[in-house]
Amino acid sequence: METDALITNQSEELDAIINKYPGEKRYIMAIMHDISRHFNYLPRQALEATAQYTGVPFSQVYSMATFYKAFSLVPRGRVHFKVCDGTTCHIKGSQIIIDEICSRLNIKPGETTADLQFSLETVNCIGACAIAPALLANGKVHPHLNAAGIRQVIAEYGGPEYGKKE
Amino acid sequence: MGKKSKRKQVLVCCGTGCIANGGLDVYQAFKNNPGGLFELASSDDIKATGCHGLCSSGPFVRILPDDITYCQVKAGDVEEIIEKSIKGNELIKRLLYRDPQSKKRVQNLEKVAFNSMQLKKALRNVGLINPESLQDYLDRQGYQALRKALKMKPEAVVQEIIDAGLRGRGGGGFPTGLKWKACQATTSTPKYIVCNGDEGDPGAFMDESIMEGDPHNILEGMLICAYTVGAAKGFIYVRDEYAGSVAALTKAISDAREHGFMGDNILGSGLNFDIEIVRGGGAFVCGEETALLASIEGNVGEPWDKYVFPTEKGLWGQPTVINNVETWSNVPLILLEGAKKFASTGTAGSKGTKVFSLVGKVVNTGLVEVPMGTSLRDIIFTIGGGVPGKRKFKAVQTGGPSGGCIPESLLDLKVDFDSLGQAGSMMGSGGMIVMDDRTCMVEVARYYLQFLAGESCGKCVPCREGIRSMLEILERICNGGGCLQDLDLLEDIGETVKTAALCALGRTAPNPVLSTLKYFRDEYLEHIVNHRCPAGVCKELSEFYIDAELCNGCGLCAKNCPVDAVQGEKKQPHVIDNSKCIKCGECINDCQFLAVKVR
Amino acid sequence: MKILIDGIEIEAQPGETILEATRRTGIHIPTLCYHEAFGGQGSCRFCMVEVTKNGSSRVVASCTYPVNDGIEVKTSTPQIDKIRRNIAMLLYKRAPNSLFMQTLYKEYLCTENNLVEDPYEKCILCRLCVNACAAMGASAISTVMRGTDKRVATPYDDASAACIGCAACAEVCPTGCIEVQEDNNIRRIWNRDFTMVACEECGKNFATREQLAYIADRSKQEADADELRLCTNCRRKVLARKLETFNG
Repeated sequence: METDALITNQSEELDAIINKYPGEKRYIMAIMHDISRHFNYLPRQALEATAQYTGVPFSQVYSMATFYKAFSLVPRGRVHFKVCDGTTCHIKGSQIIIDEICSRLNIKPGETTADLQFSLETVNCIGACAIAPALLANGKVHPHLNAAGIRQVIAEYGGPEYGKKE
Repeated sequence: MGKKSKRKQVLVCCGTGCIANGGLDVYQAFKNNPGGLFELASSDDIKATGCHGLCSSGPFVRILPDDITYCQVKAGDVEEIIEKSIKGNELIKRLLYRDPQSKKRVQNLEKVAFNSMQLKKALRNVGLINPESLQDYLDRQGYQALRKALKMKPEAVVQEIIDAGLRGRGGGGFPTGLKWKACQATTSTPKYIVCNGDEGDPGAFMDESIMEGDPHNILEGMLICAYTVGAAKGFIYVRDEYAGSVAALTKAISDAREHGFMGDNILGSGLNFDIEIVRGGGAFVCGEETALLASIEGNVGEPWDKYVFPTEKGLWGQPTVINNVETWSNVPLILLEGAKKFASTGTAGSKGTKVFSLVGKVVNTGLVEVPMGTSLRDIIFTIGGGVPGKRKFKAVQTGGPSGGCIPESLLDLKVDFDSLGQAGSMMGSGGMIVMDDRTCMVEVARYYLQFLAGESCGKCVPCREGIRSMLEILERICNGGGCLQDLDLLEDIGETVKTAALCALGRTAPNPVLSTLKYFRDEYLEHIVNHRCPAGVCKELSEFYIDAELCNGCGLCAKNCPVDAVQGEKKQPHVIDNSKCIKCGECINDCQFLAVKVR
Repeated sequence: MKILIDGIEIEAQPGETILEATRRTGIHIPTLCYHEAFGGQGSCRFCMVEVTKNGSSRVVASCTYPVNDGIEVKTSTPQIDKIRRNIAMLLYKRAPNSLFMQTLYKEYLCTENNLVEDPYEKCILCRLCVNACAAMGASAISTVMRGTDKRVATPYDDASAACIGCAACAEVCPTGCIEVQEDNNIRRIWNRDFTMVACEECGKNFATREQLAYIADRSKQEADADELRLCTNCRRKVLARKLETFNG
């Protein structure tokens, strides 16, 4: 697999990330956060290395990786949309935003476009309730969105422009 | 000092809401020192502060000592502000806040209804200080409470907290002082102090604003507790999504260490204490004490039965005091002003203030801190300015996803821990979401159950299977396939989940269902019997039409319709083509004349 | 200390749970996720009982609630019966394909309703398998995902390098949902094939090669140790013979 090769080439980086922490169980989450930041997801080899380093069974590390929503086991896009579907955003129409992204980029929440440009995730609350509905694009908050607004945001990050569906 | 008071201070709100609206650009524009600004206000006097509260009108620029607050400021306004209001004494009218009731422009935001009923205690420094500056915190009596506590006997400090009547602000409402006392009484060491900053309630951001806007306050609260119970190690568990909070706390901890407020022999008292930040993994259930502790230990965030309290067996089986961010931020204040003063605010059972994040279909959205016992009506209508447009208030949801929906008939309820519980809802961490007649209560219940289905840890049967079943029924009702027996089944399963689930997440999970069934049963019946969603939210059960009598043909809905389903000549009544309509509701939201209706 | 269970006074030891104390009296509290070897998990909530302490009552999980002096326990009340009935109903709806749940559903007189049933599911997520695997020292399986998506699996659902094919998980499973296939000296479990080793006495397959290697490694035994050559039955016979020789 292509992604596996990516990791093999970066085994030194991986070691550097893991070795920053003591080899104890309680640092697994911190290690996974750092891995996730570096690779944009949690590659299998990285989880195996984490298990070995901390002396925790691989099954338990995998259990954690699938339990916590901050982590993804598949590569995320270069642009990662987190659409807030917290209560406020929900009653102010976040579903419209989600539907629009799905239809324009042809992906569902939790998926990545084939060209790895975009991935979509719905999150519970990004603490931006006062400016709902909102979305995080690679960490930047886009406030007060509606159907037209999200089209602009998609275009801004290199997606198909309005009227020109791919 | 006299000279200092003449110097101007510029506070730029850089809370999450304002940053999203360009707050950092505004701050940067001031920092670029345009027009020789620094002769009047030194670079240090231009502060990026935490949340000012009224997020719907941000970004804010507040100029002291004149106390001028400008709203919705853009970077391009900065030069004009400097010329007119900092160098000169002129007000820029168009940037002043326009009071929605009186329609007048207001110079001092503290005096508008949004702020005048508030009492800032937990938020006392937020928005006034630069959270990155230890000096700013010290200037506002920072670490004085710790100094005071260190001169007292630990038992006396705990007694002060007990006398103040402080109850856990994270939702449980457990008396904080009793928690500390229980931990103090245990002999097993080491002991741990934990701050729960895993604010996962969708619709709440008060803890974020404290962590971002006044981080030292939390550290000081934890330090005081560490002294009283004899703990040497603390953890702050922060949601990973809150990058700003993590940054602010990291800086604060490092500054506190450097200046002797943390580490070994704190302030020469012999107290050793240090704090480590743990980034959460994105799990709502980790707001549950024992799940959070499991997570810190490096496990999946599954709670355990709390028949033995964490104060006896907590982190790694050791005595642990765990409190929420807002609770910690009240602690230094109690020491400073004394238990008596603190307890003079509030109701018989709930003392002090509570921060709410007032959001949803309300004019002024943002953070509000009010004395316990303030009525829902005052919070929503006086402070919040009521429901925007011509829409009608329907319900307010308090307590986060597992809280309940409170109808208009109970708006005079005096909000505290006990009254909300009696109304079938709860305080939770203080989310307050206003809903209008465009909100479908069945769909709201469905939404919360869907949320909880994904957020339940899945350990215990009542929560995991009960939520799954209730969600299945609610989805059926929203899609038009419900039957009357479904309502009995919902109540039956709901009761079991409420009594038998392992943790508070599970035990409160049926609240959204049970409370809407109690107060909005007619809406359920409309869905089931008449196959109609009165709010026009459930797509299978709604059809929109335009009332020709009310439509004046302004064309706004036609312009905004994403699928071009609205047609009509200018100044003539429009019609909706239902074969095209995707029922997104944009037209209803747009129409100023309430002409778009649900059949 | 003394506690009262369904009106009967019994002596309980500090540190034990209500369930443990009750089991000694012969009073039956039904459980689904409890096993003596692993202790209480508090996850199935089938063992809920009513506890009265200082005049106030609450419903608690008897498998995790530690006894304390003077408590009064009722193992069956209308409220508790309803909880158990609903749990049986909910778990049956989850796993209607297991005979175990079908029986329980009838036993608890659950009433029919129109909740959807997954006709293929057998697992009730009691996690006894996960506990057994951890107790064996392999920890090859764990719970994955969370909430209503939770299930038991090996990492990535692949054949697990940690699995030793001992089938302790299948043995402890109350609903028989863990598949173990054996033919031609090959055992297939959790998507992995294991070669079986025959008992040197009776010739029956008694363990997988990986299991024996694991035992040898852990207990530092010689390759000719009885444990590694003989099945449990034959080991017992050999031991009996040795004792006879010793005594005789």
